[in-house]
Amino acid sequence: MTDEDTTTDERTAAEKRSERISVSEGSTTRRNVLKAGAVGAATAALAGCSSLLGGDDGDSVNIDQDEVSAGLLTFTEGAAAILGQQAQRGAEMAVEWINDAGGIAGQTTMSLETQDEGSNAVDKYNQFIDDGKDVTFGPISSGTHEELFQEIETNQVVNVGTDGTVTTLYEGEDPTYSFRFQNYDVMEVMASVFEILERVGADNIDTVAGVNPGYSFGQDEMGIFETAIDRLADAETVYSGFPDLGSGDYASHISSINSEEPDVVFSSLWGGDASTFLDQAFQRDMFDNVQAVAGPVFYGSADAISEDVVKGVERGKILSGSRNYYWGIPEPGRSPDSDALYDAATGQDGITVPTAHYMSGFGAVTAWATAVEAAIDILGEFPDQEQIAATLEGHGFYTPGGYYTMNVDHQCRGNGYAGVLQWDDNIGAPVIEDVNIFSATQISPSPTGALTSQNEQTGEGWVDSL
Amino acid sequence: MVTSSIALLEANSVLLQSGIIEGLQNLLQPDTFIVQTINGIRFGFILFLIAAGLTVILGILDVLNLAHGELYALGAYVAASVGGFLVGEGTAAIMAPPSSFDPVTSFAFVGVLILAALISALILVPIGVVMETVFIRPIYERDQVYQLVLTFALLLIIANMIEFIWGSNPQKLDLSTKTAVNDIPTFELLGLSGVPSIVTLIMVVSLVVGVGLFYFFSKTKTGRIIRATAIDREMATALGVSPDRTFTLVFALGAFLAGFGGAMELVRTAANPGMGESALVLSFVVIVVGGLGSLRGAVVGALVIGVLQNWMTVVEPSLESAAPFAVMVIVLLVKPEGLFGTWGERT
Amino acid sequence: MTPGISREDGQLKIRIMKGMELTVRETLGLVAGLVILFNLPTITTLAGDLPIRQRPIYRGIVFGLAAVGLNLLLRHSELVSFGHAAFFGTGAYTVAVLVSDYQVKSATVLLVAAIVAATLMAALIGYFTLPHTGLYFALITLAFGQLLFSIVKGQRALGGTDGISVRTGEAGVTILEQFPTLFGIQLTGQEVPNTILLWFTLVVVIISMLVMYRIVKSPFGRALDAIGQERTRARFLGLPVKRYVWAAFIISGIYGGIGGGLFALYFRSVAPGETLQVFVSGDILYMAILGGFGTLTGPLIGGIVLETLANIANEVVFTGPAGETQMGRFITGAVLLLIVFVFPKGIVGSLKPGGRVFEGAKTLKNDPTVAGPWFRQFGQVTVEAAKRSVKNVRYLLFGVK
Repeated sequence: MTDEDTTTDERTAAEKRSERISVSEGSTTRRNVLKAGAVGAATAALAGCSSLLGGDDGDSVNIDQDEVSAGLLTFTEGAAAILGQQAQRGAEMAVEWINDAGGIAGQTTMSLETQDEGSNAVDKYNQFIDDGKDVTFGPISSGTHEELFQEIETNQVVNVGTDGTVTTLYEGEDPTYSFRFQNYDVMEVMASVFEILERVGADNIDTVAGVNPGYSFGQDEMGIFETAIDRLADAETVYSGFPDLGSGDYASHISSINSEEPDVVFSSLWGGDASTFLDQAFQRDMFDNVQAVAGPVFYGSADAISEDVVKGVERGKILSGSRNYYWGIPEPGRSPDSDALYDAATGQDGITVPTAHYMSGFGAVTAWATAVEAAIDILGEFPDQEQIAATLEGHGFYTPGGYYTMNVDHQCRGNGYAGVLQWDDNIGAPVIEDVNIFSATQISPSPTGALTSQNEQTGEGWVDSL
Repeated sequence: MVTSSIALLEANSVLLQSGIIEGLQNLLQPDTFIVQTINGIRFGFILFLIAAGLTVILGILDVLNLAHGELYALGAYVAASVGGFLVGEGTAAIMAPPSSFDPVTSFAFVGVLILAALISALILVPIGVVMETVFIRPIYERDQVYQLVLTFALLLIIANMIEFIWGSNPQKLDLSTKTAVNDIPTFELLGLSGVPSIVTLIMVVSLVVGVGLFYFFSKTKTGRIIRATAIDREMATALGVSPDRTFTLVFALGAFLAGFGGAMELVRTAANPGMGESALVLSFVVIVVGGLGSLRGAVVGALVIGVLQNWMTVVEPSLESAAPFAVMVIVLLVKPEGLFGTWGERT
Repeated sequence: MTPGISREDGQLKIRIMKGMELTVRETLGLVAGLVILFNLPTITTLAGDLPIRQRPIYRGIVFGLAAVGLNLLLRHSELVSFGHAAFFGTGAYTVAVLVSDYQVKSATVLLVAAIVAATLMAALIGYFTLPHTGLYFALITLAFGQLLFSIVKGQRALGGTDGISVRTGEAGVTILEQFPTLFGIQLTGQEVPNTILLWFTLVVVIISMLVMYRIVKSPFGRALDAIGQERTRARFLGLPVKRYVWAAFIISGIYGGIGGGLFALYFRSVAPGETLQVFVSGDILYMAILGGFGTLTGPLIGGIVLETLANIANEVVFTGPAGETQMGRFITGAVLLLIVFVFPKGIVGSLKPGGRVFEGAKTLKNDPTVAGPWFRQFGQVTVEAAKRSVKNVRYLLFGVK
């Protein structure tokens, strides 16, 4: 299926947008918003997908709403800050753009407060609620997201999850206020799997191995990978290691790989761990013994990855996913919005290149703000929490990174990006070349029918049925 | 609810299907076995450098220093700065990493790296002295529970200070540094691939330090005084030994060893927030297995734990982190005084 | 005997129940504490921006309860447990598993189950730790605690490191309806159920404290004291040392289990890092010492103070060479140092007659001029310590000459 469906971006992003915009016009959330109790301005025209860059007709209604205050939970400290800071800067940039355009619907500006989710994250979330935040975003950690998920329902204030991508979290559940922007684990693993099949070829893969972080996320990712690679390439897993987070020691895992010589190594290590792993693999000549090493989130730690490794390894042997966003797509020069975001991001403190985690923050804020604008268009007034939640269901919106749909199961689905990790001397950071774009329908089960959550096919069940 | 669908996937895991037996077969393949054992020994040597200080301080000062792991972490962080200073591209750099193997420059470069590690470890000496003289000395006579509070407080303070100074991103030396060391052939000469020379470097240097430590305690006068103090504090005092100075010396030595271990690990990997905590907990296991306060026990304990944990990554990866504690529990139940009892008489 | 007021040795005593008489000061403190805790929801609302928050205080109460249990070993048998998280975690996980896998929803049933599970766990671990004292006891409890932690976090059925949500996950029911119930009220974490759960928790805590009071005043409690002072002598006196220590260990574990069970009901999510890890064990121990391990209520107050402190301290952010850093651990460490060097009897111990604060305040009241010498003394000690370290560094580097 990869040959047919995988585009190496022949179509421009704009073409794709126009293809999809028609879909979204039809399915916008009027029905749901009305269901949520909005009667007043039902006749207001549907704006479809509102743009962040200046509300077009928002000025026609006068919404009586003071500044909107938002809270963001992310890692600002500790090893995961390398991911968390990207999300924070992304969210800050989205807020900045909204305010530069005069605010939501051109009238209501936003403020954003960030808290570290490293310890007692839910306490801090509750503090946001006590402080009367109108919306919350975050977190990064999947464990925290699971914990937060039910708190959000308790507090009945919309949260758009930036990350925390454990697949099962939104499955078989019927949340009202909890949403997730970033693609979930199955999607990022499947993008990596298709990327591997594309580069190495299913016929050339007999054995695979994995080195994944020794906690729930790493175990989930490896489980999904093993199933998928077994179904699609009939490959056998010959080694699977789960080093502790931050252990910094992959000697024994790499030695095992060297002696098994698997065709492909899958690793969902992130942050400093990913970089340390690649360093040590390089020192121990692991790349000579395998055809490819694929990481769904290697690029998330772009800042930490060593230049010598990327340059020293044969081209095409390190493959990296980039979740639902890669800054180089649409290609520079082809989309003013995308270029503007890249320029703005690289001007921010601590951002060498914006990664998918940057979009996690940017996209979550955008999802919420565009949904509120859409609701204002329908209602003629500022929506309440229930109305915002209803509008978000099935809500489609643009960011400079492309088009995203927040599905009725509260899980946003966007394209999955993956390609060859290379070094770019001009920007002094790794880049992804030969990017493959996998559409959301390729890398996840269709969300149709997810309204009745029991009928929904689970992500992992879908992988199993491939 | 969340777990049921994962269980289905887990059933696919080849390793869990085949279980520990196949893992053992994998381990017992000669190449794997040798490489994994060497990995384990290297890890064991580093563990020994940390645990040696912990166990000697415990044996002589009767203090369980919970902040000891942070000294190890501090050593790694300091080495990242010192190393970056000495081998980087700055003005103070002694030499840059050679780009290919050349006997003279490569070994000279290794010398510079060892020098950087030594300097880093020496920087920890005054820190250790301050910890002992200012904080720990006033509480020797008090209930043991206070030393646990005190050293834990120091752990928190040092860990926070590390993050304050170096931030939360991992600190490491440039990869070219590691490549320069790996370019020197070592295990390759024995026909064994897959063990980079940086591992050889760590093993050789740690071995020298370890042997030096035993020599110090058994052959030098100061070493014998320290041992005498460990055996009988009052007797040593009566013979004119100043216990105060001995205690400070021992603590500084412990800080030096932990710092040196951290600095050597940095050459190979990176300094991470949280590395001190895991090192602390593992070195507890080491000293309990070896016998509280026993230096020989620390050697054996460190090697047992280091090698076992590395074997476990092949045999049954999911038990990797539980294995050391299982060993510790078994030893405590079967031979509560540890494999080598206490230190002092028998070195 | 009924509650009442009596006069003993010229001091007014208030009798709460048989064998329990408190001074006026103690009674006032107790009443004030209870009034504050029962009105916590109102107080936190009134506090506004002040860092008085219900979640950290609740966490302090339930961990503090575990610390009260730990204190039975520490104060009376002189045994330092560094693995009490094992029992706290057992209680919390028992509740979580029963709710999510077996759809048990009654909070009281869940709490009883947590107690049973913690009893079994404590009986098991306690049996193996019996022969040990001193540091070995601390280390073997630590080893068991870490073993349990490592096993649990590797179990996918227990949610691994992400842990488990304390709700049934039933199909066709909203998320809020999946939580356990207390007296027919769904524990959704919203204001009303949270207040009711808080009151219920306080009642459980009061009962637990009364039981502990009776235990330490009983012949059994005095026997533990004797064992703590000198095991061999206690054995010669005919005390069944092992059996008594084992019993104390189990009781101490039960308190951890109750704390853990209440934790799971309130926070509705249980993960190994928050309930089982070695530093959780450390926290429980430090709560006891911070509050005063020579006292009954100290560990509980230590729990509340330590959790609130950590909550406030983390809001202190310094900008260092590497950007902004939360100084929470530094501040907590500094407070622990203060406890070691200035208030070794802990918060409650220092406020009691004979304690540092109590005596200091008395001296200060009688003669305010002592403040001057105190500061001078403090300065002298600091200068001396600094001199000593400089001297020692010099010795080490240049030898003695």
